[in-house]
Amino acid sequence: MRTRSLVGVFVLLGFLTFFPSGWVQAQTIKIGINAELTGDIPKVGEGTKFAAQMWLEDVKAAGGLAVGGKKYPVELVIEDNESKAESAVKAATKMITEDGVLVMVGPQASKQAVPAGGIANNYKTPMITPWSTNPDTTKDRPFVFRACFLDPFQGPVLANFITQEFKFTKAAVLYDVASDYPKGLAEFFKKAWEGLHGPGSVVAYESFTTKDTDFSSQLTKINNSGAQVLFTPQYYNEVALIVQQAHQLGWKKPIVGSDSWGSAETVSLCGKDCYGLFFSTHYAAAGATGATKAFIDRYQKKHGYVPDDVAALTWDAMLLVQKAIEDTGGLTGDLKKDRENVRSAMGRITKFKGITGEMTFSGGGDPSKCAVIVRISDKGQFEFYKSACP
Amino acid sequence: MGGERGNGANSERGRSRFRNLWKPYSRVPLLGWFFGALVAVTLERLAGTPLAQFLGLQKIPVLFGFSVMLKNPVLIPNVILYTLIIYGVPTAVATRLCIPLANGIAASLFRFPMAVTAAAHLALLYAILHVWAEISDYRVLVLRLTLIAVMLTLSLNVINGYMGEFSCSHPGFMALGAYCASVLTIGLFVNAQLLGTASLPAALGPFLFPVALILGGLVASFGALFVAIPSFRTRGDYLAIISLAFLFIVKSLIENLEFVRGPRGLSGQPDWADLPTVFLWTVLCVWSINNFVRSTIGKALNAVRDNEMAADAMTVDTRRTKMVAFLFGAFWAGVAGGLFAHVMRYVNPGNFGIQNLAEVLAMVYFGGLNSVYGSIVGAVSISLLGEALRPLEIFKWIIIPLLLILVMIFRPTGLIAFRDLDVANLLKPKPKPDGEG
Amino acid sequence: MSRPAFVESAGIEPMVIFLQNLVNALQWGSFYALIALGYSMVYSILMLFNFAHGDIFMVGSYIGFGVSMGLIALASSGVVALPNWLILVLTILFSMFLTSFVGMIVERVGYRPLRDAPRASAAITGLMIGIILETGNLALLGARRVSFPSLIETTTYNVSGVFVTNKKIMIVLVSLLLALALHQFVRRTKWGMAMRAMAFDFAVVPLMGVPLNTMAALTFALGSALAAAAGILFGVAYPVLDPYMGIVFGWKAFVAAILGGRGSVMGATLAGFLLGFTEIFVAMIFPSTLRDLIAYSIILLILAIRPHGFFGEPYSARLRL
Repeated sequence: MRTRSLVGVFVLLGFLTFFPSGWVQAQTIKIGINAELTGDIPKVGEGTKFAAQMWLEDVKAAGGLAVGGKKYPVELVIEDNESKAESAVKAATKMITEDGVLVMVGPQASKQAVPAGGIANNYKTPMITPWSTNPDTTKDRPFVFRACFLDPFQGPVLANFITQEFKFTKAAVLYDVASDYPKGLAEFFKKAWEGLHGPGSVVAYESFTTKDTDFSSQLTKINNSGAQVLFTPQYYNEVALIVQQAHQLGWKKPIVGSDSWGSAETVSLCGKDCYGLFFSTHYAAAGATGATKAFIDRYQKKHGYVPDDVAALTWDAMLLVQKAIEDTGGLTGDLKKDRENVRSAMGRITKFKGITGEMTFSGGGDPSKCAVIVRISDKGQFEFYKSACP
Repeated sequence: MGGERGNGANSERGRSRFRNLWKPYSRVPLLGWFFGALVAVTLERLAGTPLAQFLGLQKIPVLFGFSVMLKNPVLIPNVILYTLIIYGVPTAVATRLCIPLANGIAASLFRFPMAVTAAAHLALLYAILHVWAEISDYRVLVLRLTLIAVMLTLSLNVINGYMGEFSCSHPGFMALGAYCASVLTIGLFVNAQLLGTASLPAALGPFLFPVALILGGLVASFGALFVAIPSFRTRGDYLAIISLAFLFIVKSLIENLEFVRGPRGLSGQPDWADLPTVFLWTVLCVWSINNFVRSTIGKALNAVRDNEMAADAMTVDTRRTKMVAFLFGAFWAGVAGGLFAHVMRYVNPGNFGIQNLAEVLAMVYFGGLNSVYGSIVGAVSISLLGEALRPLEIFKWIIIPLLLILVMIFRPTGLIAFRDLDVANLLKPKPKPDGEG
Repeated sequence: MSRPAFVESAGIEPMVIFLQNLVNALQWGSFYALIALGYSMVYSILMLFNFAHGDIFMVGSYIGFGVSMGLIALASSGVVALPNWLILVLTILFSMFLTSFVGMIVERVGYRPLRDAPRASAAITGLMIGIILETGNLALLGARRVSFPSLIETTTYNVSGVFVTNKKIMIVLVSLLLALALHQFVRRTKWGMAMRAMAFDFAVVPLMGVPLNTMAALTFALGSALAAAAGILFGVAYPVLDPYMGIVFGWKAFVAAILGGRGSVMGATLAGFLLGFTEIFVAMIFPSTLRDLIAYSIILLILAIRPHGFFGEPYSARLRL
């Protein structure tokens, strides 16, 4: 009996020796996608994943990524960070040390992107976050980049726009106190507005907490504060509720938003209430032309809805990554060196024509790019209204 | 085992042979298992990579190959074989071979004071973890976070298991500890903006880090007063919502504190919470909590849980007992929070919300109430499961809850509930076969 | 930091602001009340924390979405003429009916096997069932948020400065009606009496011939039906549904249910409204950034002074551990 089992083990071992094993494959370029697939903002993760997969399709159709005259197959390592900081850190560590990714794209939300950026920088792996606007994400981290503009830029753009367009002097702000993006933007807007119109010109500065759905108390205050315009840098799901409730409480003045409004769902959730409102964003879907339009149409055809800003920014981030890899002029096969090369290539990218605008990295990880002011038309489409550049 | 042929007598024989194979292992002291494990991890360190490549795995499967298996089912036999060759067989063989030796050493160690014996075992355990984790930084990170989860689970078990309350404020305590420790380390050692005082030299940092952690724990204890004092007059469900309200309050408070940067979070904590530090703190935590629950006050906790009035009649000072338990549990939650902040090197009030609460509660009740063993098992298994099932993406959060429900249905008090952790019993040598073999 | 609304509101009477917020709070409290009712029923009769309740509310809302879409399609296809108000009524009834089955399944799968287990274990199963419902929804329907169809046209009335919509009036009325109906059911019917008896003594009453399993299923069915009603009303008022919308509601309704006291329909309703009022009025008087901080400090204070809620008797039953 014992001999038989021993023979069995050896047969199995022998069989495994001839097993078609994976270590003799060509060098592949691995790109990590660290996305919020579950948790608070699954929609963001979905957009990230879909955009990245579309990019992969293109690369596959081209037969791989051509670097220095050689074509490399590309593989995506997609990890879910559950919208939790510790999970994002674990996922980042795993894809960097275990899977050996060349570049990491994501996480999107700052809550995840700030700690994950620390990891990427420690391991000297380039990371690009398409969506995180927190200054801490890239601050003092040479290996961390982002594809979006920052709050200190967007806040003044909006303040100037409202001042020039409507000639208003009193504004109200409603934002989510528990979420860093709205809070940051609200603060920069307030600062810029008060710089233009003097202290006290933000007559109501109200907040709520993530997942709240009733804003009636805050809106009542705003209504009675004498504000001429309401600025609310919220995500699209809250935008629908805020705008509708404001109208139900008798608010008839303009409401202005930020790039987080830039989702197809803003209009589908909000309906007629949102028509005619303005917001600043990266690109305008309705007036889109060229590559932007091609991307939107393709995405819509494939997934059944117009991509939001996360998907568009992720697409741009993927293209930035591709450009940086191509610009290295050839991979050495030594992951450490290649990562350094990609990092310096990315830092040199200038006048990159992304679908969300032209980007230039001047040394740091933050691109300088233009913002677009969009008007929601009477058909519910995002129409280009004006652009503002730094 | 080659004997399984479906034949009744044969399988009976196989079973008895298995029993015979297992029999010597009943005499293995803990030390022997540690030896075996050390051999296995050393083997992995030396021969892991070539073996993994030989078996067609690109690298050493990092968490026993779960993610490889889930991503590429074709490789399942290879992973199993790898696990057997690296972990299974060497552990079994080495443990079997060193039974007499291990018993001898254990017996001689046992003559020393308990502290020495325990320290020797812990040193060996650390060596195993260290060698195992050295393979990859990912393992180190997972290990550190798992150890922190052990601390959290244990400290919650003091309140929810031993005292029988349903406290929902644990993430709140953790947040207090995390923020306090972070403010101290960042403010004193990293930049002067936060506290407005001159920075201390960074070289002093690692020595003062424990002080920061303890202060974090004390702040968490202070916060626990807000839950502990109402607990004098009420308990059970009412206390549960008091603790829940406390959690909401802490989160809202931090979101509004501009000097810790509100919802934007605090980043840039120095990287002092490395594996030895976390391990040391976890050991301290397990040791002190184990002693605590085995002391008279621990027994008083059980008495309060089982019948408060009777306990009062039996001269148990219920107020003092409750107060001590809350402060003690919160202290360790705060320390765990401080370590967490320094492992992540970033804290954000959003880290300490209801999601976090559900996770810690799950670990406590999965592992087992009223048991130090249980908490360790619960925290380790849920943390590792969460990592291992990563490739399933969304479905991970269907599988893990299902598993927990099954455990709850079949073992309602958790996997290992109501078991004392008797260190002496655990570490003692087992020279003779105990009982009938 | 913003100043209190009174100060800034030049020309607008404080009374108007107060009334406006009263209206707001009535609507907001209605949801807490309805969800807390379902919570409180399970809690009173089976002594369980049903942590899946918030997610049953979410499921009810999604079922309501499906039913209303189906009815709208039916109406627009011209097979039967359905006015919008009828669609709403039918949606509420159908969804309450369907969701009550969800509740019964949850009870059968998650709670019945644990009836003799420690209460906290059942609470954990509830939490886990909640996570399964959320993730299942996410896996099934994708991450897209759905927009609840607008079944009734919003009309805003301006009553001397106070803005009231027809939706608000409807929501408050429907939830009060449901609470009253439940109250009558519990007070007047044989089943209701059995429930009250169970709430009084969980151990002995089944021995007197009250079928425990049926009662448990009924309790869950009723609670879930109320949650479904809340879900649809929520969809009407805040037409954005997502898989995680029930979590915060569930926990806050948990606070309200226990604040209301054990075994008290009116207590849970009142506590639900109280929670809504606290949140709205704190945001009115204080800077709204501090809303949660102050609102929950008030709750904590209330419990410190009245440790057993408003209508609850001093807690004596010990945990069944």
